[in-house]
Amino acid sequence: MKELLNKMRVSVLEGEEEDAVALAKQALAEKLDLKTVMDEGFVLGIREAGQLYAEGEYYLPDLVCSADAMKSALAILDEALKKPASGFTSKGKIVMTTVQGDVHDIGKIIVGAMLTAVGYEIYDLGSDVPNVVVLEAIYKIKPDVVGLSALLTTTMVEQKNIIEDLKVAGTRNGVKVIVGGAPVTHEWANKIGADGYSDDAISAVELVNRLLLREGMKA
Amino acid sequence: MMMQTQVLSPEEKKMIHEESIRILEEVGIKFPSERALDILEKGGAVIDREKQVAYLSRQMVDAALKVAPKEITLAARNEAYDFRMPSTFTGYHMDGCGMNMVDLETGERRSSVLQDLADSARVFDEMELGYIYWPPVSPLDVPGQARSIAATATGLINTSKHIQDEMKTAKEIPYVMELLKAVLGDDKLRVGRDIYSVVYCTVSPLCHDTDMLEANLELCKYKVPVVALPMPAAATTGPASLYSNVALSNAETLSVLVMFELTEPGVPIIYASSLGIANPRNGLFQFGMPETIIQLVAIIEMGKYYDLPTTIAGCATDAKGYGGQAMMEKMATNLPLILAKPDTLVGFGMYECSTTLSLSQIIIDHEVARYCKRLCEGMNIAPETDFFEDIKSVGQGGHYLKQKSTRAAVRSKEFYQQELLDKGSYDEWVSMGSRDMNTIARENALQILEAEQKAPLSKDVEKVLKEIVEEASIKLAE
Ligand code: B12
Repeated sequence: MKELLNKMRVSVLEGEEEDAVALAKQALAEKLDLKTVMDEGFVLGIREAGQLYAEGEYYLPDLVCSADAMKSALAILDEALKKPASGFTSKGKIVMTTVQGDVHDIGKIIVGAMLTAVGYEIYDLGSDVPNVVVLEAIYKIKPDVVGLSALLTTTMVEQKNIIEDLKVAGTRNGVKVIVGGAPVTHEWANKIGADGYSDDAISAVELVNRLLLREGMKA
Repeated sequence: MMMQTQVLSPEEKKMIHEESIRILEEVGIKFPSERALDILEKGGAVIDREKQVAYLSRQMVDAALKVAPKEITLAARNEAYDFRMPSTFTGYHMDGCGMNMVDLETGERRSSVLQDLADSARVFDEMELGYIYWPPVSPLDVPGQARSIAATATGLINTSKHIQDEMKTAKEIPYVMELLKAVLGDDKLRVGRDIYSVVYCTVSPLCHDTDMLEANLELCKYKVPVVALPMPAAATTGPASLYSNVALSNAETLSVLVMFELTEPGVPIIYASSLGIANPRNGLFQFGMPETIIQLVAIIEMGKYYDLPTTIAGCATDAKGYGGQAMMEKMATNLPLILAKPDTLVGFGMYECSTTLSLSQIIIDHEVARYCKRLCEGMNIAPETDFFEDIKSVGQGGHYLKQKSTRAAVRSKEFYQQELLDKGSYDEWVSMGSRDMNTIARENALQILEAEQKAPLSKDVEKVLKEIVEEASIKLAE
């Protein structure tokens, strides 16, 4: 068991997605205790990857590979259980999207990877996503945080629109909304009533940690 | 001899071309528009309708290259500023679509507004090497959908040079055409002059954007010149070697060429790229980096390989404002590029990876451009510069100040006349207020703005343009 857990840790640390998936399947086949598999296997790997990034040892592509290995392993366990296996280990669920009319997606992908690397569970909706789809996803997934990326001065307004729609639906209080992207500023975030803004992925992690801690949530 | 930069050998250009063809044939490129896919299919492309991917063949690329014009004139309202490509020197653009402005009064960075566009056009109008006005910032005080139209109109009003902008949706086209008609009038000689062109970006890797694609398909029938400008960043939206990223960018530019030449044979396409390299720590796009510059030079060489008019991104910095890093990166993103001789270079005045505009930096960048032009001109070895007779007559000791040739030479192109650089004595510098380049440039900008505009539009035409913008603000917001 110990050796297997170590393999899981390494698969995520080294960003070997196929290995991570195979190991997750093996864990299911052998009916291992999934909490142990997560906490003492995969999660250790992603934490270490995040640590190496913070120390300057890991670069962005390393981190993205680790984050994706983690995500794929999780997906296997989730599906087999028909419920989120991660529920008891994840620091929180986060929906990430680039708003409608905007195709700049790499910034949002990077923020997502960084958050995965510190233990959050990311649902990436893609780019140029219609507001209705974002709202549906929020209702369905019930995330702790939703991150809205907008890189155009003409699409920033969708961040505001989504916040307004959440208010109208009476669900604004149930979720933290954070915003980002090149033209977005602290002033804009305040003006539209977002819960936070950051101008890069590293501070996005700090932001989310801060927001969820303040709420006394799982973090 | 003229100075020159080169990063690709003839064989290497061929290799990049072959790699790009392979990308187009085997990987394909996404055109999320049924209309576009229909045109490409008719033109011989293999189409995967479900994925909206078109596989473009070598023959399609060759055919497009054949019909694409090799000479393009970016005309200006004032004909003295017509810019012909290919050009013997590099003309400059303003760089488009930023969203911050360094306030000329306070020096603080703030959001950009319409007045900033008017001011930038006035300053740009005075820059001898500036030919193409791409509205450098978005006017955030104008309703979202009408921003491009307001920017184009403001350009037409405040500079008599060529205007370039983006066409983000087809809805904007009628308004832009109205603007042009108002400016060009009914004069048969003037109608049809390309005083307006567009920038068209692909979405790296290997995608086109639905709205911009459909807008530009529609625009094709007006034969408006199109700058095909991909922006892959090696390691994030592009592959992580300079070689493959250049090949990817080249494939995307060729895909634009194929698409629009099939739609409207002979439509003028300008070969271009604003590719770069990502910061491998945080993913941010990095402009002022050696790897970006090397790739940009390679792109210029590829444009020339195809004999197409060529525009290149450059004159850029990642610095947040005026200072050491800005000037180091500005020079580095000018000189090697200019020495590869692109027809035009984008553009003056920006900081922060082309998101923040400064009027004084427009003037500083113009000095950089003039300086690079002089370097590019190199040394003229010819009978008229052979001053052996002077050497003989002065002999040993003495000076050349009284030679006729000296008096003529100091007024000639042989001697660079700086406008901002400080080449005086220390005391002189102190007596002039110990000013740095940015301070002098700022004073120059203020002077330009206070002076009368040189070739203003008639008040009537200006009024018509403003009415068109007004209408667009209302109609497009619906
Ligand atoms: C590459 C690029 C493109 C590529 C995008 C490819 C892709 N797959 O993403 C292409 C060519 C498609 C493109 C197209 C366009 N672009 Co563009 N593009 C850029 C460029 C040069 C870099 C963007 C980028 O990838 N940055 C790298 C990533 C890592 O950084 P980032 O996105 O800023 O993300 C970081 C932070 O902002 C933050 N963050 C981002 N999202 C979020 C979300 C949350 C919740 C949080 C907390 C944080 C956060 O963290 C990220 C990581 O550190 C920028 C200029 C710039 N320097 O920003 C212009 C820029 C964004 N584009 C611009 C424009 C105008 C356009 C176009 C209209 C045409 C044009 N002229 O370029 C089209 C629009 C298409 C559309 N409908 O969306 C303007 C926008 C300004 C404006 N006036 O609106 C810019 C600023 C260009 C400029 N003037 O310099 N573009």
